[in-house]
Amino acid sequence: MTLMEKHVFVDEKLQEVRESGRLEYRSRSLPTWCPGCGYFAIVEGLTHACNTMGIAADQAVVVSGIGCSSRFPFFVNLFGFHTRNGRVLPVATGIKTANDKLTVIGVGGDGDGFAIGGGHIAHAAKRNVDITYLLFDNGIYGLTKGQASPLSAIGLRTSTTPFENPERPLNPLMMLLSYGASWVGQAYAGQPDHLREMITQAIAHRGFSYLHILSPCVTFDKTSKTYTNLSMKVRKLPAKHDTSNLMEAMQQAQDLDNPAVGLYYQQFRPTLSDTFDQVIALSAGEGRGA
Amino acid sequence: MNSTDIQIALCGSAGDGTIAAGDILRNAVAALGYRVICFDVYPPEIRGFGKCISRVRITTEQTYALKRQSDLLISLDDSHAIPHAGEVRTDGAIIYESKPVGHCPEGSHMSSHILPGQIPYGIPLRELAEKATGGARSRNLVVLGVIAGLLGFSPVPFQKIIEKKFAKQGPAVVSRNQAGFQSGYDVGVNTFKLDNVFCVPQESNPAAGKVVMLSGNAAVVQGCMDAELDTFFGYPITPATTIMERLATAMPKRGRRLLQTEDEISAIAATIGAGYTGARSATATSGPGLALMAEMLGLATMAEIPCVIFVSQRGGPSTGMPTKTEQSDLNAALYGSPGDSQRIVIAPTNVEGCYRCAGKAFEMSEQYQTPVIVLLDLYLSNRYETVTLTESGPPFTLNANKPLRRLEAGESYQRYAFTEDGVSPRAVPGDSGCMHVVTGLEHNTLGRPNDSEEIHTAMSRKRHDKLLAALHHPDFTVTKRIGHSGRIKVGILAWGSTFGECLEAMFMAHAEGISCASMKVVMLSPFPVEAVTQFMDDCDQVLVPEVNYEGQFAQLLQGILARPVVRLSRVPGSPMPVELILSEIRRLAGVV
Amino acid sequence: MVAQVSSSASAPHRYVIIGNGVAGNQAAEGLRDRDPQGQITIITNSRMLFYNRYLLPELFREHKDWRALLAHPAEHYEKRRIRVLRDCWVTSVDSRKRQVMLAHNEAISYDTLLVATGGRPYLPEELAECRRLIHPFGSYENALAVRKALPENGSVVMLGGDMIGLDLARTLLERNFRVVLVTHENSFWPHQPVGDERTKFLAILEKMGIEVVDGEAQGGVVAIEKGASGLPDRRVRFRQGGDIYGDIVMSFYGLQPLVEFMMGSGTDIERGLLVGTNLRTSDPHIYAAGDVCQIWSEKDNVYRFYYGHRNVRAMGAVAALNMTGGNEHFSTTQDEALFQNEQGHIDSPFWAYD
Repeated sequence: MTLMEKHVFVDEKLQEVRESGRLEYRSRSLPTWCPGCGYFAIVEGLTHACNTMGIAADQAVVVSGIGCSSRFPFFVNLFGFHTRNGRVLPVATGIKTANDKLTVIGVGGDGDGFAIGGGHIAHAAKRNVDITYLLFDNGIYGLTKGQASPLSAIGLRTSTTPFENPERPLNPLMMLLSYGASWVGQAYAGQPDHLREMITQAIAHRGFSYLHILSPCVTFDKTSKTYTNLSMKVRKLPAKHDTSNLMEAMQQAQDLDNPAVGLYYQQFRPTLSDTFDQVIALSAGEGRGA
Repeated sequence: MNSTDIQIALCGSAGDGTIAAGDILRNAVAALGYRVICFDVYPPEIRGFGKCISRVRITTEQTYALKRQSDLLISLDDSHAIPHAGEVRTDGAIIYESKPVGHCPEGSHMSSHILPGQIPYGIPLRELAEKATGGARSRNLVVLGVIAGLLGFSPVPFQKIIEKKFAKQGPAVVSRNQAGFQSGYDVGVNTFKLDNVFCVPQESNPAAGKVVMLSGNAAVVQGCMDAELDTFFGYPITPATTIMERLATAMPKRGRRLLQTEDEISAIAATIGAGYTGARSATATSGPGLALMAEMLGLATMAEIPCVIFVSQRGGPSTGMPTKTEQSDLNAALYGSPGDSQRIVIAPTNVEGCYRCAGKAFEMSEQYQTPVIVLLDLYLSNRYETVTLTESGPPFTLNANKPLRRLEAGESYQRYAFTEDGVSPRAVPGDSGCMHVVTGLEHNTLGRPNDSEEIHTAMSRKRHDKLLAALHHPDFTVTKRIGHSGRIKVGILAWGSTFGECLEAMFMAHAEGISCASMKVVMLSPFPVEAVTQFMDDCDQVLVPEVNYEGQFAQLLQGILARPVVRLSRVPGSPMPVELILSEIRRLAGVV
Repeated sequence: MVAQVSSSASAPHRYVIIGNGVAGNQAAEGLRDRDPQGQITIITNSRMLFYNRYLLPELFREHKDWRALLAHPAEHYEKRRIRVLRDCWVTSVDSRKRQVMLAHNEAISYDTLLVATGGRPYLPEELAECRRLIHPFGSYENALAVRKALPENGSVVMLGGDMIGLDLARTLLERNFRVVLVTHENSFWPHQPVGDERTKFLAILEKMGIEVVDGEAQGGVVAIEKGASGLPDRRVRFRQGGDIYGDIVMSFYGLQPLVEFMMGSGTDIERGLLVGTNLRTSDPHIYAAGDVCQIWSEKDNVYRFYYGHRNVRAMGAVAALNMTGGNEHFSTTQDEALFQNEQGHIDSPFWAYD
């Protein structure tokens, strides 16, 4: 279902949006992204999710690194921390460690997350920090005007790979599944309703949730992850997909030609906060003895 | 003679229990009411036969450094101890094994290396240990007994500490080790004393407050706990690791959280994240880790987020000399970030200072909304001193945040509002209606990105000017002059652990009639221009001793004050020798 | 003195001296004078540097610190490059390997060895069991213990009074202590006055204030015991049944050469190490000097001991000369008879010290 399929009247839409209450979560700053950027849908998705879940705006923090995606906090009316390249997850871990009550959402692009910040993902996943990581995958460095990223398709011409990108891209879903992330899902900016639903689920998950969002860069990638290409290739996970089966999730994640959207894997295990509580309880026992 | 000032050096091979014996000794004499300063030197390898030395200076009055000469040398391994025989003063003594196992090649036994002025005490340590405990392992405790007996220390605190130390291994082990100590003690008491190393029995300590024995790192931990540190993030690195290790035990007991991160970048990132929420947060590292933290420190400066970084320096650059002390990370601490990123840098000069600086760092960090680096070094981190803690509770403010004003209707919260003192009231996540974004981008008062000349100039000024108030931070010693007042021939300007050696040298120079004074500079950034200038005005010559090659502190001084100083920069991997400072003082004073 | 012998630069000659008394130190000084390059090592079981044991009675006068007794300050040894291995016990000498074996399993190599261990106080076998109740007087430490044990105006029972004991007795009397001397056949060791002469000297002792008890008439001492409560600390019992009391008991039966460690070395030993007048033993690399050696006397056709500070010092000097290639001969210059001095006290040339 796309917007193209039925008539939409602006007045009606505006009224619907205003009544929904999700504008509360939008800031007065207008996004600086290029028209048509997939990221607009992600802002929409997040505000929807917050609204649906009834998250108080002053109880949520959006943490970002550097890149187009990382301007995100300025466009939502939540607490925001615009940090440094690749440091989304350790900063978010610090925030969550210091204040469990906050809803902490990390946002970042594929370069930020898998190049400069790649070392942190494994550890956030392993620790099961109760945060949500929205990874905006446009397969390019957009803010610095179009250089290759670790998720750029092989053969992509960019300003740093003028003779075609010779490297094959990483498989983020496989990485996250093997790191032991307790919630791994994928969405597509071209399917905003599903995206919104996935963001909501990711935030609701207790533990480290990773949502990989395929999102076209309309300016620097005219050949690879375009709306046209993705809309043709993206499929839904099979209806009978078992989200508790890691091997099945990995099998689905192998398919990079026809990426499947939906929840790949979910597991319930103690969060970092739980392990802190456990350490504190253990230390109290020892404290009596000493 | 009514005061005590002796130094005991225990030397052995890794595995001889040298450091453990030093630990028992220092705690026992502290319990007896003496002032104690100790520093252990051990090899970087965990196993093997590297040299371990534990030096313990025991005094009636507060002292500031170890002495170059020891009064007693205890050898648990002659091959390591022989090179240190010369460290023992005339009429001091050397205690060594008189019945080693197996053949002893000519010249390998301590007895051939004792100087005529030194007193030899060959003691059958192994034999005594075997008789008392059935094994030779407790030679280190036997020798402790000999020391206690020889110096007339009460055996009671020794036995108590041995009991505590071995309690986990069961009563049999405790009594075996106590028997080892006792057998040495009996020998010590009955040894005909030829040396003139004396300890005056100490009355129970008259000083107000509780006297505790702490290492520099332990004092940092105590300061953190007393300042109610909420979260700590760290990555192991010598010589800072013991801060994290001690906190890992202490923090959960108070319901607080510590996380070992995947690297120093995430350690500082998480520290800043936690600081951003309003929590008191810290990390600890050494030079190489500080290098990795440089970028995130700039973020904390730009976003005006409190965080505390303890940096214990070691020999550098790069991996350098992990188990050797040095003061060569001053530049990195002062300048190690892109942009105009001044932060507060403070450097304690002794163990008590570690405690105070640790606690005060949190206050300053909150009050001035900036990262605070507390610069230690291996020598300070690992040395033990007796510290007097006030009975009236920790001398730290537990909330130094500027109060937040209630917003008017329709008013937007301005995170970076311009104020008289440059500090903007800080809202943190959870503060109702105060949603805002903090960023590493240059920003306006609302925190929105803005790179106009006006904003960048005004914000740069704000970030620098607000720090100046730290020079007058309440109950904090920014600089301190000790020694002769008024006009002096030689002034010693020093920072960090080297100041102790400077004081010792200064007191020796005083005894020689040389007019001199010392000033310690605890706050290195912002720089206390006024106090240091005043001091330099009084000095004919200014000597700057520091344990680094480039003379980083001298450079700092000269850069800011543009005045001549005499540098004494050495990189021995060990503390600056007191004699070296003294000879420089003599030279500058025109005394040869 | 001009150096007559010098070690080659590559391998300095190694002189080892066992013993840290008058003979050993005199020899060390002589060796240094004659061989500036030589490596000189003194080995001693004492923890102290060389001090003159003749001065030990001084402890009962104004003496404060043991350092005052030292013949030389510590720097002297550094200046003269004389190494002193203290607190070291020699267990044997391997004359084939030319090594001195120490109790801590270290072997010290020598090119030329001087044995100058002197003697230890002799105690008759029958008193061996009572050893713990007798205060020895062989070292500074011993002397200090005596001083500590003696109450003011206390009494000392001296079993015999050899020349060391009598010297101490003179000092003790001066300090108002009571001295009881129990005689035995060696009471004036090493002098051996007999008959009337002995009687004369015993009378002198009494005149000096020493209470003389004829031990031989009592059948000799058979036991020393702790005194019962209320009585002085020591009780000395005689064979005939009599007893006397004192605060401490000291024994002075003369000296016994300290040579046990030389037993396996192959050198000739009678009671002491046997040496010619050049002080060389039967091993060409081993010399001996002082109270430990018996020197061939052409006149008496016997190996005999020569006591007294002057003799011993002369032996040290001769040994040093001969160890460095000289050919000197020891001959005593001392008059060995006891005499009565101007104060009417007993005196001995052995006490002469200069």
